[in-house]
Amino acid sequence: MRSVCGRLLLLTAVLVVGAGCATGEEWGTWYEHRTHFASYDHLGFSVRNTEGSAPKVSRQDMALARDESWWGRPITVGQEQILDR
Amino acid sequence: MIGRRTVAAVLALLILTGGVAFAAPATDRVLPAGQHTTEKARTLATTHVRALQELNAGIYHCWPWVETQKASIGFYRPKNVAPRTQDDRYLSIRIYVEQDPSPAFGKLTFEERSTAMFSRYAGPLLRRMTRDGALAADPTLDGFTAILEWMKQAPPVNGRPVHETIAIFMDRASALEYVSGRTDNRTLSARAHVLGFDGETPLGAIKIAPTWDDSFVTTYKVQNYQLEPGVTC
Repeated sequence: MRSVCGRLLLLTAVLVVGAGCATGEEWGTWYEHRTHFASYDHLGFSVRNTEGSAPKVSRQDMALARDESWWGRPITVGQEQILDR
Repeated sequence: MIGRRTVAAVLALLILTGGVAFAAPATDRVLPAGQHTTEKARTLATTHVRALQELNAGIYHCWPWVETQKASIGFYRPKNVAPRTQDDRYLSIRIYVEQDPSPAFGKLTFEERSTAMFSRYAGPLLRRMTRDGALAADPTLDGFTAILEWMKQAPPVNGRPVHETIAIFMDRASALEYVSGRTDNRTLSARAHVLGFDGETPLGAIKIAPTWDDSFVTTYKVQNYQLEPGVTC
């Protein structure tokens, strides 16, 4: 009886742990869309500004956001279409 | 005791100078003189390099909602504009304007959005571009280009946002007359040559409606934005 209970407990634990893990496909999807924290700088900004406190935005925070294309590389006209060096 | 004071002073200096360097705008926003393709352009870029870096720094600190990219500032030759000399050189700047989505803005036609952006940025940019007296008075400078870019209010294409862009070309005389107050914004836009782009697609020369001097740039403040120590706008 104790052995059956132990096996049931083990099976339940395996199912719970398995349900909490992402599949290979899910990891692949996450890897392609890692925009939650695109960089450690972004992570740092998020950690520094927690909910409930007045956020402080430095110029570098804003520049990094643009440089690292947090929101995706845009479709836009190339400068060479407008100007010559 | 003196030793401790000296060490403290050096440390403070290191921290301060390190902080300033860290907070400074990237100098690569200005196209290096050697990467211009003609002697006229290289001479302009060499002579006025400090003014261009100050222009870069001023926009970086004072208009934090605006971004420039590598080589966004330089003495470029405009394309698709009737040349006045064999090598017309315009002081050019390209900026991307971050702005919140606005249904009202999105409902305007492209020409109306362009008119609004011209009204908001062309004048203030020209004032910054002519702030250095020697640069504005340089007889080899032929004009000014302002390239304004903003997010199109439309669904992304393949996950990528689309930008709308206008390139504004202004000859030197028209620009200086406007900056000195001898002509108004409407006259400036009437004399300017404006090209439009939807994403990568050229829309050709566009006709913008009468423009005005929008005070947004001088009145808007980014919430919670902290100006770097020692910087004034």
